[in-house]
Amino acid sequence: MRKSYYLFNPGRLSRKDNTLKFTPLDEDGNEGTPKYIPIESVDNLYTFGSLDANSAMYNFLGKEQVSVHFFDYYEHYTGSFMPKDYLLAGKMLIAQSEAYSNKKKRKQIAQKLVDGAAFNMLKNLRYYNNRDKDTLTQIERIEALMLRIPFAEDIETLMGIEGNIRMSYYAAFNVIINDFEMGNRSKQPPGNEVNAMVSFVNSMCYTLSLDMIYHTQLNPTISFLHQPGERRYSLALDIAEIFKPLLADRLIFSLLNRKQVQQTDFDNRLNSCLLKDSGRKTVVKAWDEKLNETIKHRSLGRSVSYKHLVKLECYKLSKHILGIEEYKPFRAWW
Amino acid sequence: MYVILVYDIEEKRVAKMLKLCRRYLNWIQNSVFEGEITDVKLKELIHEARKIMDKEADSLIVFKSRQAKWLEKMVIGKEKNELDNIL
Repeated sequence: MRKSYYLFNPGRLSRKDNTLKFTPLDEDGNEGTPKYIPIESVDNLYTFGSLDANSAMYNFLGKEQVSVHFFDYYEHYTGSFMPKDYLLAGKMLIAQSEAYSNKKKRKQIAQKLVDGAAFNMLKNLRYYNNRDKDTLTQIERIEALMLRIPFAEDIETLMGIEGNIRMSYYAAFNVIINDFEMGNRSKQPPGNEVNAMVSFVNSMCYTLSLDMIYHTQLNPTISFLHQPGERRYSLALDIAEIFKPLLADRLIFSLLNRKQVQQTDFDNRLNSCLLKDSGRKTVVKAWDEKLNETIKHRSLGRSVSYKHLVKLECYKLSKHILGIEEYKPFRAWW
Repeated sequence: MYVILVYDIEEKRVAKMLKLCRRYLNWIQNSVFEGEITDVKLKELIHEARKIMDKEADSLIVFKSRQAKWLEKMVIGKEKNELDNIL
């Protein structure tokens, strides 16, 4: 099983003897003891600290099919190094573009995405409602909004409904999370602790989706619910939508309520709030463990990890686009 | 599968073996490696190792265990290399 490696320490990553060598640097620029990362065990790399590297390393990573995701100082996802596409399929690309440009087909997929996301949000709210957190008002509100999904006339209306669902959903965060207040969702920069957590974990979720899309034949730039903009992998946003409640939000709730992440893990400066390195490490560790957790898949009849679940979603979507099997969005059943 | 690999190899060939093993497993001590590996990858590693080794003089031992959790590890003294995927 290949795993993800998360690089927090600043340092130099280089190719050495056909494997990876990471030399950490301390604040004064002194080199620490190098660590060798067995290349055969690397799935992908996430870099949070500053990283020195040269093209020999990237050529090597490209050959080994390892992608590198970059995050800046403010925890924003800034981009990825992706090895050249290895699952090229013209047929798939044409079908995907067709599904996008055909209004009816596009709307159909978008509706399913919104529906799946809303369903998973409701799952979370119901779960907490059974645990002495009163989220009934939000549940009812979302249920009412969900009824409007099948009647949405165009993508804009659908996005509107989705926005309203998400707003009601975020309102419940204040009830669910014990010691912190979320208030309104704010980004760039996030205004408080909960918003900082949401932003950070969401970007991890987005990157995960992108990574899984890369391992299928789908093209990450052609999306259905989100507008396929420029310079953006918007299909990853579509896929992430479904998994955010399940992967990102549940993680946030449990980290904050179990006090694994605390006030001291945040940095409040200049009207913004960001996770400190200590907090980020805790979150990333929990995130990584979560992705490797397995569940018994109902129709496959075997255990699959959460990470693989995202990939299966991509497979389902491609089957729908190719007209093999109708897409049913993932719905958490537990 | 989770394995521990140890080797005893003559000095002139030992560097080659070290480099090979670093690609597949985590170095934990001189001539000792451990890590998660698949069946195929392990075969690949052993195949490559055979090419380096002199059958008369060198030896390589692999301890297999189904999962890391079935392995109780004790470190006495200095831990030379902690294994973590968060660096």
